[in-house]
Amino acid sequence: MMSPRRGPWWLGLAVIFMGAVCFYASSELSATAQYAAIGPGMAVAVVGLGLIVLGVLLLIQIARGEVFEPEDAENAVPGRTMDKRAFVTALLAAVLPALAIETLGLPVTAMLSFMLVARAFGSKRLVSDLIAGFVLATLCWFLFGWLGLQLGGFFPLAGV
Amino acid sequence: MDTLLLLLHGFEVALTPANLMWALIGSVLGTAIGILPGIGPALTIALLLPVTVSVGPVSAFIMFAGVLYGAMYGGSTTSILINTPGEAGSMMTALEGNKMARAGRGAAALATAAIGSFVAGTIATLLLTFAAPVVAELAFLLKPADYFALTVLAFTSVAVVMGASRVRGFTSLFIGLALGVIGIDAMTGQPRMTFGAQDLLDGVELTVVLVSLFAIGEILYVASRYSHSKDEIIAVKGKAFMTRDDWRRSWKPWLRGTAIGFPIGTIPGGGSEIPTMLSYTLEKKLSRHKDEFGKGAIEGVAGPEAANNAAAAGILVPLLTLGLPTSATAAILLAAFQNYGLQPGPFLFTSNPELIWGLIASLYIGNVMLLVLNLPLVGIWVKLLQIPRPQLYAGILIFALMGIWGVSGSVFDLGMMAGLGVLGYVMRVYGFPIAPLLIGMILVPLAENQLRTALAASQGRVSVLFETPVSITFLLLSFLFLFLPFLIKRLKKAA
Repeated sequence: MMSPRRGPWWLGLAVIFMGAVCFYASSELSATAQYAAIGPGMAVAVVGLGLIVLGVLLLIQIARGEVFEPEDAENAVPGRTMDKRAFVTALLAAVLPALAIETLGLPVTAMLSFMLVARAFGSKRLVSDLIAGFVLATLCWFLFGWLGLQLGGFFPLAGV
Repeated sequence: MDTLLLLLHGFEVALTPANLMWALIGSVLGTAIGILPGIGPALTIALLLPVTVSVGPVSAFIMFAGVLYGAMYGGSTTSILINTPGEAGSMMTALEGNKMARAGRGAAALATAAIGSFVAGTIATLLLTFAAPVVAELAFLLKPADYFALTVLAFTSVAVVMGASRVRGFTSLFIGLALGVIGIDAMTGQPRMTFGAQDLLDGVELTVVLVSLFAIGEILYVASRYSHSKDEIIAVKGKAFMTRDDWRRSWKPWLRGTAIGFPIGTIPGGGSEIPTMLSYTLEKKLSRHKDEFGKGAIEGVAGPEAANNAAAAGILVPLLTLGLPTSATAAILLAAFQNYGLQPGPFLFTSNPELIWGLIASLYIGNVMLLVLNLPLVGIWVKLLQIPRPQLYAGILIFALMGIWGVSGSVFDLGMMAGLGVLGYVMRVYGFPIAPLLIGMILVPLAENQLRTALAASQGRVSVLFETPVSITFLLLSFLFLFLPFLIKRLKKAA
């Protein structure tokens, strides 16, 4: 748990940063297309301004020692300290598809991600997780392909 | 009676063997996901969106309706048998229902929940049948300024009601608004917030955002705080169905729950938490068995369950008649309409009556199916809970992958999946609600379009936004919503 004295400052700063990005983007939009004082940039500017104000409000709340209660979720203990190793393993599973799917194809990528998530949740059965992931992904690949989705090759690395 | 004729025609559509099959698939899937942890109705419908490529709109929406109602039935089963309310709407059910199950009255609790859901669902669908065309007629009268005020009301109410804090609710809403304006501006053709990325020109897909926030965010969150202790599933013992006394104590709460749930469901920001809480408080006040509350009072299950289902049907009123989503599930349904190039709203009633009335008719049919699926088969459903958690969450990731890669085939979207997944994780850890983000994102084009149309018509005079009684009312209500948290706090104390 975060100690109350050192609140999550970065949270407010991140929201202000998002607002600044929007604000910057709105200044890039030319005013030529404006009609009746309102052009495509206005909504972006309003959103940016809103985010900056909200970020400042968050910072004020944090300075006052606001408690951020985590959401309830099934199978989770909200108050527990973060298990960093499990988090990183699960995050790897989420990042992997973007890196691997074009070379390894959906079934193999999904198999690896499946194994990683299962490990993050403490499963020790490496081989059976890989098999289960592969079977499930292959089934999905055929079923959804049959429904008309473009899912890419089965194993592009081998040209299939 | 025009409405009856149209409804009859709707039944003709819904009762074809193919559509009955879709309703059954939806109901079965809905019940299953209602029981399984980690997946809600919104995520399920998002993951089913790929079928819109090959299935017609009528069949697809009939299936989605089954998922929507089925998830409510399934959710009550888990709150009664293992005391893990999947969503805010089932919290009150768990309070009394789980106590009943512990006292060996699980069968009666499940029955009053299922039958109450059926009664409420059917009555609410009936109300929907007759209210929707009327509201749709009225919606024709709305001017752009009114519509804009209405979206403002939807934004404020959702941001205030869905979370624990207004600042966090609005932050979530504004992040959604920012995501929603990405892409080519519909009115001038200028790219906005794309920062030179080709992949962003078409904007960000709601499906990608929803799946990443719900599925990936949930996986990251639960993995990092996983509770290895096993849920204790209370077996349903014997055949002690509802006794005569149970019936006598249940039927009034069912009706009162429906009367509370439906109207609140139709209001933007009503959600499912407030009606179930109100119903619980009311039943506690009215009951002649006050001493049983907190120890397993059947009224405390019957009322909130009915209110929950009626509210779910109520959500469809603003969605179908105004194109206004008021929950995460409604937002994804709106995205599904848009996938077909359809815009829900008053025009859909005249241009596509087959779809609207087929959908409404299938709600009646789905309710009957769900009652049959849930009452006798509850033992089978509970078996789903025996899927080991590591493999269950791993499977959810595969489905998320299918949902995103299958629809767009874009590596960029897969990258966003990881990034938004982390956002979803952070939002969970610090208690930011997710629904306002989704609703902000899907509604911002409509809000902006109406605002710009209104201002263009008045040549930039801002006062045009406050000129009709309708827009003034909506804006005033939006303002009042800011003070709602005080009321809710008092309600919570009372419960």
